[in-house]
Amino acid sequence: MLSRRHALSALSAIALATGSLVTAAPAAELQKASLRLKWLPQAQFAGFYVAAAKGYYKAEGIDLTINPGGPNLLTENLVATGADTFGLSGGTDSVFAARDKGLPIVCIGVSHQITPFIFVTRKDGPVKTIQDFKGKTVTTWFTGANHVLNGMLAKEGIKPDELKIQPQQVSVTPFVDGNVDVVTATYYNEFYTIQSRMPKDSLKTFVAEDYGITFPRDTLIVAEATAKEKPELVKAFLRASLKGWKDAFADPKGAVDTVMAAAPTLDRAQQEFMLTEVKRLMTAGAAAKNGMFWIDTDAVRTAHDFFLKYGVISKPVDLAAAYDASFIQSVPAADRLP
Amino acid sequence: MNPAVAAPSLAVQRGILGAVLLIACWEGAARGLHLPAYVLPAVSDILLGLWSKRAILIDAAGYTLLEALAGYGLGCLIGIGLAIAIALVPALRSAILPLATAINSVPVVGYSPLILLWFGIGVSSKIVMVAMAVSFTILLSMLAGLDRVDRRAVDLMKSFGASRFGVLWRLRLPTALPLLLSGMRVSTVRSVIVAIVTEMLGAQGGLGWVIYQAVLQIDFVQVWSAIFVASAASLAFFGLIGFLERRILFWT
Amino acid sequence: MSSPAATSLVEDRTATRSIPVPLRKLARLLLGLAVAAVIWEGAVLLFAIRPYYLPRLSTILMAMAATPRAYIDGFLRTLAETLIGFAAGGAFGVLMGIVFFRVRALREMIFPIFVVSQTIPVIAFGALVVLWFGNTLLAKAIIAFYLTFFPVTVNTLLGLETVDPKQVALMRSFGASNRQLLLRLQLPTALPQIFVALRLAASLSLVGAIVGEWFGDTTGLGVLLLQAMFTENVVAIWGALLAAALLGTGFYAVVAAVERRLVFWSAEQ
Repeated sequence: MLSRRHALSALSAIALATGSLVTAAPAAELQKASLRLKWLPQAQFAGFYVAAAKGYYKAEGIDLTINPGGPNLLTENLVATGADTFGLSGGTDSVFAARDKGLPIVCIGVSHQITPFIFVTRKDGPVKTIQDFKGKTVTTWFTGANHVLNGMLAKEGIKPDELKIQPQQVSVTPFVDGNVDVVTATYYNEFYTIQSRMPKDSLKTFVAEDYGITFPRDTLIVAEATAKEKPELVKAFLRASLKGWKDAFADPKGAVDTVMAAAPTLDRAQQEFMLTEVKRLMTAGAAAKNGMFWIDTDAVRTAHDFFLKYGVISKPVDLAAAYDASFIQSVPAADRLP
Repeated sequence: MNPAVAAPSLAVQRGILGAVLLIACWEGAARGLHLPAYVLPAVSDILLGLWSKRAILIDAAGYTLLEALAGYGLGCLIGIGLAIAIALVPALRSAILPLATAINSVPVVGYSPLILLWFGIGVSSKIVMVAMAVSFTILLSMLAGLDRVDRRAVDLMKSFGASRFGVLWRLRLPTALPLLLSGMRVSTVRSVIVAIVTEMLGAQGGLGWVIYQAVLQIDFVQVWSAIFVASAASLAFFGLIGFLERRILFWT
Repeated sequence: MSSPAATSLVEDRTATRSIPVPLRKLARLLLGLAVAAVIWEGAVLLFAIRPYYLPRLSTILMAMAATPRAYIDGFLRTLAETLIGFAAGGAFGVLMGIVFFRVRALREMIFPIFVVSQTIPVIAFGALVVLWFGNTLLAKAIIAFYLTFFPVTVNTLLGLETVDPKQVALMRSFGASNRQLLLRLQLPTALPQIFVALRLAASLSLVGAIVGEWFGDTTGLGVLLLQAMFTENVVAIWGALLAAALLGTGFYAVVAAVERRLVFWSAEQ
């Protein structure tokens, strides 16, 4: 503790001396706010970058900083402590877990209306149905996708210990090399990587929705205090973000340009693929009728009951407190529809 | 010769006093300011959490220590071997040092995607990463130690017909020992940390894996419990090498 | 006024110094790099290594040239973090080494805490670093500092302890003050040891800067590395690795050059 404080004071002295901390205060009456993403800049978040680039947040009176995420960085945590105003967090599962642990956050919108994860295997391999997962090696992320897998197995009456579930590394190479029978992928990222290295028609996918399970992901969250004290800020943020997303879908190439201005080393083809897939995920299900970032209470409740049943959360979560649809509903329906 | 040799009870008392003060400040800050667990949990809560999860944590610590020890041993062998090679064949210096520096100038964690790709997600990738991290420190310490030798003593030995190897074995290695051992002592901690960091990027077990899982489950008491265990494991390792250092330096 | 250890070291240094003329050294370095590049390129082509495992050097360089701004910005940002962390860590490390050498009670109270602080993997609580310091340059510099100061403290202390008590007694008998003792005898004697740690610290501060960038940032080599890692863009991984290697080697070379200069100089007095 002592050394840290020493370090802090010593370093701030240096930083002040070199002037790196001295930033000009904005003159306008713009309200400062930040959005913490769940990951580094990529087309998955195109709408927010477009809205920022086109000045939609400024037009709503918000001076928005977009902060990327990273490994071991939990959006819920940063929003709960007030380090960031808005957050695009893991998904319904992480919102439940956060509420379960007493983090004062509220979900104000759901981005991916359907499960973004799929399970991929080789068409000519030994796995034809979910029942064939038994005894096979399945890799998955323990960041939420594992719940989807467990849910699908449970629906088919398979116990998790009947197969070898292993943590999945950042690379899909073990699957491509044939060392793993079933691999987890997101529609928008790993599935693209796999397809770039194996022909698409050699792959078979298992989709959660086919087994009656939906885990909506990529949730927009704010701190309870923000929701209570600054409802206008939250609404303004949603209006600007929606405009950005609509523009991104109307002009995907331009949106990818904007994203790649923030992260120039990205692969353009992959980003365009990602944006297409993200559009599908964001406009599926209830969003087709009600518009983007819609909170589908039925889907949320189903997911909640599932997590409760399998002990992901320790006690029932007050859904009305955890998910507040009033903000997204305040935006006119026409502005929500893509 | 070594600062740590003399350890009268006064030193121990002062060490304990420092630790107690630190813990009191921590506990006081966490309790007094009502910090939530996701900002900073109280020490007492962490210790309770540690006790209740002790079986998992001890298993994980064993897993991590195994990786760290294996990588550490391998790294020491490589570092000492390279340093001796340079000492025996000085022409190698300009070949090995820039290459080793270039390899080491990239943070070890930067190699992790490649190492995980080449060696898989299991134990071997962690051992390779630890060995990479350790070997450079050992190489530098050992070289500095070998270079520290008194030139006049070398000339004297040579004038008595000692071979290059003889000079190395009789004179330069003993002179290098204190620096080598201090390098080895510093590396212990790094080896455990590198093992943990690599585990966080992809593993089947270990403390890094526990920490990663706990962050995702928003269980910050468990994060800190695992950090405490990691710290204790590193200290035990550090203490062991420190003990050996004192024994060896005492002999010479 | 030079201790036997310092003399021997100087002779060592001057011996190695007299061989290479700077220009010839540079030419040799460039030649070495060219040979390495040819071997790399040739090996990939010859053994038909899958680009996924090792891409051709030319492919990597072309990818870097396609988006030079990203690499230049990242390089500069990471360099700034590294330098601040290194300077703060080095200064603090030497200072604490001297303090611990002088005040035994403080050493016994704080040194164990320093040791413990170094056993904590910083990456384990990235969220806390962001919580406490935000997404600033300072946050990364602090992580670099955190990794840097300890080896410097240890080696400073160790170097100071190796001072010959007889020489101290001699200087004292001539009426030397504590300050003179420190500046004239103890620090010069400890300097080689300190520089061993500083060279290590040069590498460690870069590690700190890069790992620090993993906690949600927009620019820096660490960001490029992370992005490439998770999009499985092997070419970009190698691009970021090369940039980091350039930064690390360059910084290390500067520290080593200063070391030659200083150790050489202090002995000539």
